[in-house]
Parts: sequence; C-alpha cells; structure tokens
Amino acid sequence: MVRQAIILLLLAVVLALAVNAVSPNSIPYVGKWRELSSGEGPVIPPEAEEGDPPFIGIEVARMEHDQGEALFVDAREPMEFACGTIPGSINVPFDYLPPGDLGQYFDSTLGVPKDHPIIIFCSGEECDLSLHLARNMQAFGYTNVEIFFGGSREWAEFGEPLERSPECEQ
Amino acid sequence: MRAVIDNDWLTMVSRLILGITFIYASFYKIIDPGSFAKSIWYYHMVPGSLINMMALVMPWLEFLCGVGLILGIYFRGSVAWIGVMLMVFLIALVSAISRGLSIDCGCFKAAADATGSAWRSLIFDIVLIPFLVQLLLTRSRRWMIRP
Repeated sequence: MVRQAIILLLLAVVLALAVNAVSPNSIPYVGKWRELSSGEGPVIPPEAEEGDPPFIGIEVARMEHDQGEALFVDAREPMEFACGTIPGSINVPFDYLPPGDLGQYFDSTLGVPKDHPIIIFCSGEECDLSLHLARNMQAFGYTNVEIFFGGSREWAEFGEPLERSPECEQ
Repeated sequence: MRAVIDNDWLTMVSRLILGITFIYASFYKIIDPGSFAKSIWYYHMVPGSLINMMALVMPWLEFLCGVGLILGIYFRGSVAWIGVMLMVFLIALVSAISRGLSIDCGCFKAAADATGSAWRSLIFDIVLIPFLVQLLLTRSRRWMIRP
C-alpha cells in the first residue's frame, strides 16, 4: 500500500509538472502568497497590481485613526458594517454601488475633497471589496486613497474596539 | 457483516461513487490551477511557498486515485490517498466554517454563499466516509485490473 501510494504521488508530480509546462493556464511553482498578518507591515493581497493605491498595516491605520483626519470607509455590505466596524467609519458598500454616475455618488457620499486622506477596508484577508472600491475611487480622481487590507479583523485582533450599531440583526 | 463488506457489487458501487467524485472534482482544478491556488490561500492553512505546488499536484493525485479506484489499478494506494484527502478536506472545511462564522466576512464576492457552500461540501465529505471505510475493509478484488 505504501509503495503504491508513493508511486501514485510521484506520478501525480510528474503529470502536474509536465502539464503545467505546456498549459496555457500555467502557474509558477512558487507563488507570491501573503501569510496571515503578524501586525508587521501591511497585508497585501496576491491580486494587488502595479498602480493600486498603497496598502497600510495596523500601525499606520491606528496612527491615522488617532490623528482623526483620515476618512475611514468600510466597503462591506450595510449589515456587516452595522455589526462591527472601525469607529467613525462611513459605509460605501461596493456590492451595492448605485447605477449611474459613480463620481457624483462618491463626491456626495464621501463629502471630502479629492485629496483628502481616505482609508478603505473590509473584513480582512479574505475580502477584496476594499481593493475594488479603492481602485474605483482612484479612477474617479481621489488621490489620497490607502487600503487597510487587514481590515476590521486585524483591527480587532490588535485590541482596537469595533463599533456596533443598533441596526445589527445578528 | 464480513460478507456484506466483501461483497463485489457493494465494493464496485463504492469505487464508482468515490472514483467519479474525485475525477470530477479534479477537472476544474487541473484546468485552472491559479484559481485553485487562490482557494487554498483563502484557508490560510498552507505555507505560502507550498501553495502553488499543492495546487498543481493535488488535482492530479485526485484524478489518478479516482481512476485507480474505478479500474482497480493500484487499488490500495488509491484508497489510502483518497482517505487522506477526505480527511484533509474535512479538517480544512471545519476550520474554515468555524473561522468564517466568527469573521462575518461579506467578501469572497458572496459571503453567505461561500459559507453555505462550505457547509454543503462538508456534508458531502461526511457522506463519502462510509464508502471509504468499506473500501478500506473490503477483500473484494473482483473487476480490478491490477490491484
């Protein structure tokens, strides 16, 4: 049984390498994947691209929150926003962006100048809503957007309080 | 009991159910290892440097073991790997569900959906375990090419 299992594994490795060498969907043998945040430096998702807004970690997020100037934007849906968000954030749910003129919507919802510091987050490593929202805001001329990809989870993990509103139904 | 477990037809049914499931499951992963690698990453259970190799090799192991069960080639080795993989999936799913519920992530494109599908996968995994146990115990070697 052990001998058969080893042969099967070797065969799988050979097939995998051979097919990956010719497949149009091939991937590198060692990928660039981020580990869970240890609090040192920002979490950067694998799908981040050149030209994306900068990513910040818990220390920077905390500092900016303490300074109180930056606008924190939660990109998750309203119920999740209600059930635990970074205090003082506003909610711009990426999945429910209205049809029509997004630029106008951003301007009226955010209510800050285009160069105002904005920090976008969602719930953490599994969530890419913050990245998508940040790209959109950047495209509509917001120049000072940062992404706190560790999100509400990293925020809570490092001892910061989350704000819960009465609309939360969980 | 022994006679039931060793029954050739029952063994064949278990081989087909597990074999077809694993071959079917391997297809999209073999075709699109990049997406599968990302799925593995989401679990945060595998070191980053190993994720891509795992995403490349595991689907082929699923495929080979599925074929091994159905045709009866390297039967014992195939059953062993399928057992290992079912256990790995079980642990990963339980861990993901337990963390997912506490994370309340609206993400994954569709959070509710993602949690729902994890539950479905977990139930499916558990349903397959009796067939695995039967194949581990059976002495039937009928309709096998090279067990």
